[in-house]
Amino acid sequence: MIIGEHYFANRNLIPKVVIGALVVLLAAFPLITTDVVTLSTLISSGIWAIAAMGFTLVLRTGQFSMGQAAFMAIGGYVSAILTVRLGIPYWPSFLAAGVISGLIALMIGLIVLRAGGISFSIITIAFGEIVRIVALNWGSVTKGATGIVTRAPAPITIGNFEINFAAGVVPYYYFMFFLVIVSGLFFWQIDRTRIGGTFRSVAANPILAEHLGVHLMWYRVIAFTVAGVFTGLAGAYYVTFLGVMNPLIFDLWKSVQIMMMTIVGGWSSIVGGPIIGAAVLYSLGNYLSRLPIPNIQYLVFGAVVVLVLLFLPKGTGLVDLWGKFWRKVFREVEEYELPGESSQEDE
Amino acid sequence: MPPAGIWIDGLVQSCIYMTMAFGMVLVFSILGILNWAHGQFYMLGGFVVYYAVTAAGIPFPLSLLISGVIVGGLGMVVEKVIIERLTGPGYGLLAVTAATMALIFFFEGAAGMAFGLMAKGMATVLPGVLDMSSFSISYQKIAVIAFTLIIMVAMYIVLNRTKIGKAIRATAQQPDAASLYGVSVGRVSLIVMGIGCALAAMAGGIMGPVQSVDPFMGRIPMIMSLLAIVIGGLGSLTGAIAGGIILGLLNSVIAYKISYFSEVVLFVMVIAILLIRPQGLFGTGAK
Repeated sequence: MIIGEHYFANRNLIPKVVIGALVVLLAAFPLITTDVVTLSTLISSGIWAIAAMGFTLVLRTGQFSMGQAAFMAIGGYVSAILTVRLGIPYWPSFLAAGVISGLIALMIGLIVLRAGGISFSIITIAFGEIVRIVALNWGSVTKGATGIVTRAPAPITIGNFEINFAAGVVPYYYFMFFLVIVSGLFFWQIDRTRIGGTFRSVAANPILAEHLGVHLMWYRVIAFTVAGVFTGLAGAYYVTFLGVMNPLIFDLWKSVQIMMMTIVGGWSSIVGGPIIGAAVLYSLGNYLSRLPIPNIQYLVFGAVVVLVLLFLPKGTGLVDLWGKFWRKVFREVEEYELPGESSQEDE
Repeated sequence: MPPAGIWIDGLVQSCIYMTMAFGMVLVFSILGILNWAHGQFYMLGGFVVYYAVTAAGIPFPLSLLISGVIVGGLGMVVEKVIIERLTGPGYGLLAVTAATMALIFFFEGAAGMAFGLMAKGMATVLPGVLDMSSFSISYQKIAVIAFTLIIMVAMYIVLNRTKIGKAIRATAQQPDAASLYGVSVGRVSLIVMGIGCALAAMAGGIMGPVQSVDPFMGRIPMIMSLLAIVIGGLGSLTGAIAGGIILGLLNSVIAYKISYFSEVVLFVMVIAILLIRPQGLFGTGAK
């Protein structure tokens, strides 16, 4: 069975090739269609995927942050205020949004992550509400409920090739693509190197980790801050893409949506899970919001998450179906252990 | 010094936060999880009372009990179908936290679809105002305060004088030992979840006439009672009651002084308390 052997020898390669082909397809997507609705869905999914990756990173340390949308709001407000009200060019303020969001995450983390656990979830949920209330009522800076109308980034000219953000959604698509790739690689690197292992040990067995000399709070704070930076960047970019920033964009529901994307996608994979979850849930939400039934999105999302938790348990969201599919293709019987479930993982 | 009306409003809020936080801590002490959808049971209770009073014409006190029974039963179903299946060995807190978070929106969506998004008032229940010479207080607010006192006394009796109360306290202290002495921990969890959700539902029902009933009414009480739990100390019933009183009164008084930033001040206060005492005011430490 030469063909069969060949087939089996490449069993780890074929899924990767398929993923690579998908990435290339997505990269070339604007060549296939420039339909604004499709591209907008993809752009938004990508941005939410970055936020969900941040959430997953915090989840890796065993903490459940319910205020991630607040960091998107902070990022969005920082970039909107810097560009529109202070006249600073977009890209520096985009980076500033990440930095300030990260600093706020650092401050909150230093205070709250000492206790961790449920206190942390409660404080972050309250923090999300606080950011919304402050944004709504601090009219002199945030313009309250009216919101700030953002401007498109200035055109970038490289040689005689000009990237004009004001012209259409394609430049936004490519920058989203770039952003997702960069943050995906970053989170993937964090997850597979020593620090990711430490994160998982902090979550799996805090007492043992502490006795092995891991400073629990520092690692939790590192994860929370990194997540804050990327979530802030995602928020800043999302707001620019939407063209308006107001307090209603990032409320508790959005924080929970970020969590839902991670859960549905599966938190056993730090990059794949959030991307799949964000794409599936954002498209589903987009479809549901066009139905003439009020609140159906809440109902369906809530039901989907509960069903995923019951039937694809322990962090194996939709992303695990991918592995299952290939194991079925190769008729493999494989016992495997999920990351985060094993007590100690050595790098 | 704020006028008496502000203090009374604060007291009414405290009563609700107290009842909610009490139920949450009760559930937490047995199941070891926070029921994040507690505020939505409060909302559902409000709707049950609203429809019992306006559509079915059932007297208000009786419809409170009905809402307690119905929503308490729903809480038991949630415990049996979802929470119990997600809290076995090998599951962290993550799965059950995510599931109850998702339930928040499931219930809000369901209520929005079933009952509509409009706020429904039932000001006709218990009309009238008790006029003291210096201030006045409506009967509805008196009802809230009286209801909370009754509930607290009833819960005290149930927890300290009955057999099931003893079982609950034993399970909270040491589940393994309790089950060795013939206490069914699963059944205690079910009962406690039922009690917690019934308390929330009745709180929602009693608040119905004071405010109004809408699908999103549960969010603020949920967040406030969560903060009350953090202030009081996770797992401490006394702490939940004290935290509820502190938060309700402070929220009302601060809101009187500086209008809408009161939540921010409360939040900063909670953070300050966490900085000084990470285990909360009445907490005993790790739990």
